[in-house]
Amino acid sequence: MSFEVWTEKYRPKKLAEIVDQKDIVERLKSFTKSKNVPHCIFAGPPGTGKTTAALCLARDLYGEAYREHTMELNASDERGIDVVRETVKTFARVRSIGEVHFKIMILDEADNMTSDAQQALRRTMERYTETCRFVMCANYSGKIIEPIQSRCAPFRFTYLPREAHDSQLMEIAEKEEVKLSKEGLDAIFEVCGGDLRRAINTLQSSASLGKPVDAKVVYAITGKASPVDVHEMLKVAMDGDFIGSRKRLRDMIQKYGVAGSDIIRQIHTEIFKAELPEKWKVRLAGIVGEADFRLVEGADEEIQLSALLARLVEAGCDFRNGK
Amino acid sequence: MANRCKPLHLAWANKYRPKSLLDVIGNGEAIKELTDWVRSWEKGIPKKKAAFIFGPPGVGKTSTVEALAHDYGLEFVEKNASDYRTEDAVKRFAGLASQYGSLYGGRRIILLDELDGLTGTSDKGGVKAITDILKIAQCPMVLISNSAYDPRFSTLRTNCLLIEFKKPSTSEVQKRLKQISEEESIEAEDVALKFIAQRSGGDVRSAVNDLQALGQGKGILTYDDVSWLGYRDRQDSIFNVLKMILYGKSCSSTKQAASVADVDTDMLFEWIYENVPAHFTDPHDLAEAMDALSLSDVYRGRIRATRDWGFMRYVVDYMTAGVALARKNTKSSGWIPFRFPQRIQMLSRSRAERALRSSIGVKIKRKNHISARRATKEVIPYLKIIFENNEEMAAGLGKWLDLDQEMVEYLAGDEEKAESIFKLMG
Repeated sequence: MSFEVWTEKYRPKKLAEIVDQKDIVERLKSFTKSKNVPHCIFAGPPGTGKTTAALCLARDLYGEAYREHTMELNASDERGIDVVRETVKTFARVRSIGEVHFKIMILDEADNMTSDAQQALRRTMERYTETCRFVMCANYSGKIIEPIQSRCAPFRFTYLPREAHDSQLMEIAEKEEVKLSKEGLDAIFEVCGGDLRRAINTLQSSASLGKPVDAKVVYAITGKASPVDVHEMLKVAMDGDFIGSRKRLRDMIQKYGVAGSDIIRQIHTEIFKAELPEKWKVRLAGIVGEADFRLVEGADEEIQLSALLARLVEAGCDFRNGK
Repeated sequence: MANRCKPLHLAWANKYRPKSLLDVIGNGEAIKELTDWVRSWEKGIPKKKAAFIFGPPGVGKTSTVEALAHDYGLEFVEKNASDYRTEDAVKRFAGLASQYGSLYGGRRIILLDELDGLTGTSDKGGVKAITDILKIAQCPMVLISNSAYDPRFSTLRTNCLLIEFKKPSTSEVQKRLKQISEEESIEAEDVALKFIAQRSGGDVRSAVNDLQALGQGKGILTYDDVSWLGYRDRQDSIFNVLKMILYGKSCSSTKQAASVADVDTDMLFEWIYENVPAHFTDPHDLAEAMDALSLSDVYRGRIRATRDWGFMRYVVDYMTAGVALARKNTKSSGWIPFRFPQRIQMLSRSRAERALRSSIGVKIKRKNHISARRATKEVIPYLKIIFENNEEMAAGLGKWLDLDQEMVEYLAGDEEKAESIFKLMG
């Protein structure tokens, strides 16, 4: 068993190593062949290979010295307009020396940039197209302003299909000499839903227990990894104790830093597992959906989720009263 | 209407000052004691030549003495702190006190008001001079102070009849406010007057001032009109603002309440968010109120996204009127205390921990091509499991990520374990 982070250790180095996202890889390969790359948007859910594809593209273009020609910036950490004005511009305006005469700027989590910063970026992209090409990775391309979208070639990444997911994890398990059972694999897929980064993290932390990785281990680990007893929180809410469920929510968010989007996804799953009349599940799903939408609009996670909990308290009350 | 002719600028607190002892609110016993003492002068100079009245502000101490002078036809001489700051100043009116009566044959009462105004050592002479005057006094003297037990007045006290004035009850104040409203032809709701009376905490003067500020020139005074009143102290203020928002009945009054709050909008939001559940106990009301807060918050998000602060008005609309009008079934069930926003408290408590987490996040980011923010949320939980369970793997990861001892300790959650992991890291 090795002592690196497996997500890094097993990250593909070249486009040819990427097992899935075939159409995308083929198009990217054609870029490297012609030694020309347009501005790109890589859009898709987390853990589907956007950053990996961007890094592979760079490595295939420039070889091992790719770092000299590539800059990786995470918009989520540095999303202000000043970063675009200074860092990005400074990098973008200097011509690259070598066979490929442009550099590549990878802007990760670009959908987290403020719209001001995006406006500034649009100018920079236009002005320095000769010397720099941008690859923007984003979960939602809709959060990238129109003018940038129209300057970029779009690539849509999707969750890994089950077979690709399984073969990746089994390969890693084999190399790391970890016993991974079929049930364990099922459990990982169920919990991570095709997000390969999460899946590999789950596999590694499960393996760290030094036991064969089966469903029980996986569930125990994910239970701990997100110390989020969403199930319990929902039960408390449906039983009518809003303040108690809000307290649990607050702990999840503040103490353990669990993302609101994760909590809401689990709430959604829980609702369909719950012992409720079918009609109710649909009704509650609509309420969850509305909260999810408001979250995406950039609102405060605790406020939105506790408003959702209040709706569940209400639903629990109606349900008991036979409405 | 009659009040149209009356000068509007006259302070009602003065205009409706009691003319006679019958108009004074409350403190019946104290007033009787004072009256008996004044009447005892008719039979000759009593042992105690001065009365020392003490009590909180605005309960009618000065007014009582004035009314007393009026009722008994005494010449009323009033002196304030500025008149007896020094010995010389006091001596200037000593003559008045040493004479039995006034020029015109009537008797005289001398009031030394605002004794608290005497400060520090420079006024020491003043207190001594007053004591001297008491010895030669030939007419009743009344001393007024907020506190009786100030050590500076110890010698004065022993020579005086001590009379305490207490705060009148809310209903007594309310009754007075009602009389005044009637005089001013204001049709005032009882709840509105009660609210003013309660808020005044027995200070009649401030209650009358409030009534004037809110009611003057109006034909009708409702609860909504008074509920957004200006406040006299901070802690009190936020509680009152909350009360007006959580129990408001109209858009305008709740929005006004928000505008007089002396905390910023975000903090007010937190106060409302913290306290809504305890004050909206009906599940439907609660869900509606929380939904209003949620929408308010959506507009905050939109402000962040667009930098357009014009959206702030919708933030305020939803968090005030939106919340208040969610109340349909919840009855107000007595007094529920307001709580300080726990979220803020918790946020500051866990600040150190979050700082450490995000510094680990930065380490992960350097090696893992993901944002520090995401690393903190998505990778740290897995690292924690590994650090808690597998020292070897933890050491390898710790070295690879270049973690320091504090970080290892946090991830391992146990000092001993952290120690051995750190050793393995070399």
